[in-house]
Amino acid sequence: MPENIPQNAGFMIAAYTAAAVILVGYAVLLYRRTLKP
Amino acid sequence: MKLLKAGRWITAAGLALLAGVYVRALVFTPVERFQGPAQKIFYVHVPAAWCAMLAMGLVGIAGILYLLLKDPRFDRFGEASAEVGTVFSMVMLTTGPIWAKPIWGTWWTWDARLTLTLFLFLLFLGLLLLRSAVTDPGLRARYSAVLGICGLVLLPFIHLSVYFFRTLHPQPIVLKPSAPSLPGPMLLTLLFSFAVFTILYVGFVTQRYALALLREQAEMGAGGGGGNA
Repeated sequence: MPENIPQNAGFMIAAYTAAAVILVGYAVLLYRRTLKP
Repeated sequence: MKLLKAGRWITAAGLALLAGVYVRALVFTPVERFQGPAQKIFYVHVPAAWCAMLAMGLVGIAGILYLLLKDPRFDRFGEASAEVGTVFSMVMLTTGPIWAKPIWGTWWTWDARLTLTLFLFLLFLGLLLLRSAVTDPGLRARYSAVLGICGLVLLPFIHLSVYFFRTLHPQPIVLKPSAPSLPGPMLLTLLFSFAVFTILYVGFVTQRYALALLREQAEMGAGGGGGNA
């Protein structure tokens, strides 16, 4: 077992942010498109 | 339109539950001691990959059904699923390299699994480009169905590529013949995320299907009643 857990939380935050931006962004885009088909 | 409203509600519920996945994964799920916090990318990367493959699988099945039955609902569904699959592929291909960098030391490697998933994304893009390029609805539906079936054929190769080839990508830990190799809290978070991403997929596809239907009705001019919805 490693003594110290790797400190790479920045990558985790970046990935979660990217996923949220893509999914929420698409949800908003889809909502706007359905307002004026 | 009832379908559109249902899609919006399902999507809203999915997004709210996604916030729950984030809280559960980031706050209440233990940190893996070898990989550190970056391992938690797993809880969005794997469900996104699942939804991308689910989307392509259903595009392919809808394509087969369209070629057999010539029912425009299958073509409409295939169109919706392809667009939504592209979105989940983007999540998969964005979060994957961000996870790979701290663990493998590189953002990308041209091994079988990664290359095939990129190919899946390009197939989704190809489907969308094809649909926008072909104006004749019958031809468009037929070409899309064939391309979707090609995507369906690709899926087993993607899933099994980690067994057939030497690759940096880990082997399946849930979708495999033996029991999932994850501690309980991590498995629970992953299954929760799988469910939420699937709800989001359903919500997105329902809305996108309704949008396609609205566009067809607008093109016909008089709002045709949605008989084939």
